[in-house]
Amino acid sequence: MTAIAESNGLWENMYQGRAAFVRYWGYIGLMLGATGLALWGGDGYTEDAYIFQLVGQDGLVWLGTGALLGAGLAIIASMARPEVVNGRIPKMMVSWFDGGALMIVLMGILTIFEPTSAMVSYENQSNLIGGNIVMTMNVVFLFSAICYIAYLFAPASFIGGMATAAAWAGIYSGGAALLLRWYESYLFMDGDIGHAPVSNLYEVFILLFCITAIIYLQWEKRYEAKAMGAFVMLLIATGIFFSIWLESVGQAEIKPLVPALQSYWMKIHVPLNFVGYGSFAVACGAGMAYLVRMWLESRNSKMVAVFPSLDALDQLAYKSVAVGFPAFTLATILGAAWAAEAWGGYWSWDPKETWALIVWLTYGAYLHVRISHGWHGKTLAWWTVIGFVVTVFCFLGVNMYLAGLHSYGRLS
Amino acid sequence: MMRAMSNTTDYLKPILLRLGSMSLAISLLTVLALASVIGTVLLQNQDQADYLQQFGPIWYWVFRSLGLFDMYHTWWFLSLLGFLMLSLSVCLWRNVPRFMKEMRSSKITISDSAMKHMKHSRHWKLKDQSVESVLLAVKGNLKEWRIREEQRGDVSYIRADKGQYHKWGYICVHSAMLVILIGGWMSVQFGFRGNMSVPEGAKESEITFLKGTSTEYMKMPFEVRCNEFSIDFYPNGMPKEFKSNLTIIDNGKEVLTSDIIVNEPLYYKGVRIYQASFGDGGSDIRLKLLKLDGSGDVDFAETKIYTTFKDEATGITLEMSDFRPYNVENMAQIGEPKDFQDLGPSVDFIMRGAGLKAVKIRSFMNAFELNGENRGNFMQVSFSGNTQDFESMALGLDMSNPKEWELLQRFIVRLAGADLSNKKKANMQAFKAALNDVFGDQRPDNFQAMAMRVLQAVQVIPRLPWPYIPVLDDYDQKYYTGLQLAKDPGMNVVWIGSALLVIGLCIMLYMSHRKLWLVVRRQGGVVSISFVGLSNRNPLNFKHEFNEILSKVDDDVQALNKGDTV
Ligand code: HEM
Repeated sequence: MTAIAESNGLWENMYQGRAAFVRYWGYIGLMLGATGLALWGGDGYTEDAYIFQLVGQDGLVWLGTGALLGAGLAIIASMARPEVVNGRIPKMMVSWFDGGALMIVLMGILTIFEPTSAMVSYENQSNLIGGNIVMTMNVVFLFSAICYIAYLFAPASFIGGMATAAAWAGIYSGGAALLLRWYESYLFMDGDIGHAPVSNLYEVFILLFCITAIIYLQWEKRYEAKAMGAFVMLLIATGIFFSIWLESVGQAEIKPLVPALQSYWMKIHVPLNFVGYGSFAVACGAGMAYLVRMWLESRNSKMVAVFPSLDALDQLAYKSVAVGFPAFTLATILGAAWAAEAWGGYWSWDPKETWALIVWLTYGAYLHVRISHGWHGKTLAWWTVIGFVVTVFCFLGVNMYLAGLHSYGRLS
Repeated sequence: MMRAMSNTTDYLKPILLRLGSMSLAISLLTVLALASVIGTVLLQNQDQADYLQQFGPIWYWVFRSLGLFDMYHTWWFLSLLGFLMLSLSVCLWRNVPRFMKEMRSSKITISDSAMKHMKHSRHWKLKDQSVESVLLAVKGNLKEWRIREEQRGDVSYIRADKGQYHKWGYICVHSAMLVILIGGWMSVQFGFRGNMSVPEGAKESEITFLKGTSTEYMKMPFEVRCNEFSIDFYPNGMPKEFKSNLTIIDNGKEVLTSDIIVNEPLYYKGVRIYQASFGDGGSDIRLKLLKLDGSGDVDFAETKIYTTFKDEATGITLEMSDFRPYNVENMAQIGEPKDFQDLGPSVDFIMRGAGLKAVKIRSFMNAFELNGENRGNFMQVSFSGNTQDFESMALGLDMSNPKEWELLQRFIVRLAGADLSNKKKANMQAFKAALNDVFGDQRPDNFQAMAMRVLQAVQVIPRLPWPYIPVLDDYDQKYYTGLQLAKDPGMNVVWIGSALLVIGLCIMLYMSHRKLWLVVRRQGGVVSISFVGLSNRNPLNFKHEFNEILSKVDDDVQALNKGDTV
């Protein structure tokens, strides 16, 4: 017992006062170092070489200097004026940075178990371990989904705790697996085809699970919304079955990028889009929880007690959309910018573009419905659910049923 | 005059109210979304004949008259967008002055009835107490808030605001939409976008583009010459890079030469030039025509892609349609690790002739190797003329060796004269005789493998209905590069609108306007204090924030009161 209490104390201290302050600026310094390396380091920025610069000696010098400078200055500042540590650094960012760093470390440890380049080839990728880590993620997320659902029927803190822990474990295995895939893509063909792991449906699915889970867990942490987890995790679990199927039909292979996708825009546009999709998934989870709670209320079920209030669920759905909508807007705009650069027009009414517009209009209308008097709770909850169906069609349906320029996610 | 004016405004007002209303916004967004769905489900700008076949005459006619085959340019879709612009303008025009006024000068005081309706509130009653000290204590807790005060008789009001510029979000977002739509209109009105194909070594200055269903042409203010087009491949045959080396010629002068690849266009005189596609630019092709008349003779056909070679002697025509320098295929069996091999250059053509069934042929230049063994040439034949229906046909012979062809011919001749009662023996003897005919005493060392091939070829080749077999012999490849040229004066307007949109959205969705009021009223010997709060969004967070401030205020008030609340 005491050990737990103590470690809790340590945990809290990590995110307060000087420890958090110094780390925050250390991370900022690290990122500035990375930017500096891209701008002025080595022989200038070239996309493929940059990743090697980052992990090479240049990277050590630039990133290390940045981090040390940042942290050092923060220490000096905190000595000179101790009250600055309570100032306005975004505390949340510290934990995000930590999480990111942890994923990179995890990935680094996993690379030790990777076969050497000599033992893998493009033709035979079966030795790579990334797939196993993805499978771990699948299993852990499925377990988490089961726990969340069990929690609805048996709201014991033990089950709830396990659900949350499994969800976090899933996120870290998924994140590390993606990074590992990035690394793996450099292992054959002399690193010729290395690329960020956001180039096909299988990869973006992993990204989508992780982002969805992260957004949901933020709400859980802050707003005691554990019952909602059952619905969000149900969506993730459904996705996982689909992704396992994708793997079984050979979509999990690392393939070279076609020329149209060889652009730094891909690394920005795609992940940002999935922040949008992920938030809309969470909003859908909240909407479903809302509808189920209403149904339970009408039957005077005791299970209602497990659920957050209708008002809270409505708010959580809105909050998710409020995260997703600007992200999706920006992603679409960046997609347009990429199209402008690659194809000569920012908008060509290509099916994927048009469906992105449809999704955007759907959630735009949702935001208006919210402030328009008259339509409340239930309508809005349905709107989030239907909105997500539209989103899924934009994400998957367009690739499966409609032709167009965005055929990279094509199921074949 | 005045009267008429106000009459029209009276008349217009309800319409304007409607136009700028929220329910119209919701309907418009929904209708636009639904309309867009149609455009993605119905393939746009296809061949009219395909539509007719797909939908039948009645539905074809209905869809066509609604313009559904080029929906995004129909009058009704554009009107929808125009209507959206109108509606946005009206709602801005109605709301902006109001919001500006509200932001500049919101009331500091608050009525009792308004206070009663607030969700977050707390009331205290203190015994005789200086109002100033209360106000001072409370203000100390609201350092990051904009604070304004007003005194009305016995009542002091403090109003604290945070995020009071929230309404700018609304203004940004809605004007951004207008800006983007205007930018889009400018792009359509003053810009262009079209394609040109330039064979290597040639020049071109005209683009073609689709307008509705017809193709139109447009002259560029310069010429583009393609010096070279090249493709880089990954080892598995997937293309890695498409690259064109282009020279811009303006008024007869070469002004600039540059490489372009996908994602990295060239910019000249406001026109962007993109790498869009490629194809054969009329490569020079030489075909071997291996005559099947038993003479063992070989003719040559010198031709070009996109031209038709006509053989006067036989009346046969070869319509040359495509050439490929590489054909990388996965040669592994299903379930085995992949094994990519380049089958070498190939040429596609359609062969026609009197009394012959027209066929599409893909002829490969090199013999096919399997496990290091030469299995002879092969070709792909399609009787339907579609590339999907290609069937492989092994010819058996290595056509790069003219002696081998001669050997086959001699073999056939010798076989014809052989005694066929003992097939095996006849074969052996005929082959030996043929060997002697072709090589005399000097038999080649690899004649066993050659024998195998000839024996296989004799099963196939004599059955071919053609007077000769055309096999790719030599080529001089020439690509054309497919360029897209675009000029888009509305693009920057769209980017400005986009930036405004994102910034506005962030303000609108993440900043909430929070208001607190502290009302201190002195009545007789009692000071009654009310503390209320209101937020226009994010009630969950505000509840938290309010309670935090409240507990501090409460501490202050209790301290002042030294414990004796009335
Ligand atoms: C086409 C794109 C449009 C977008 C992206 C858009 C976006 C938004 C957003 C995000 C909000 C804020 C919702 C919230 O507070 O949660 C909003 C509010 C609003 N919109 Fe729009 N809108 C659009 C079109 C329109 C149109 C056509 C109208 C008018 C007919 C309109 C009228 C309003 C009004 C009156 C508000 C409420 C402002 C307030 O009181 O805070 N919007 N809009």
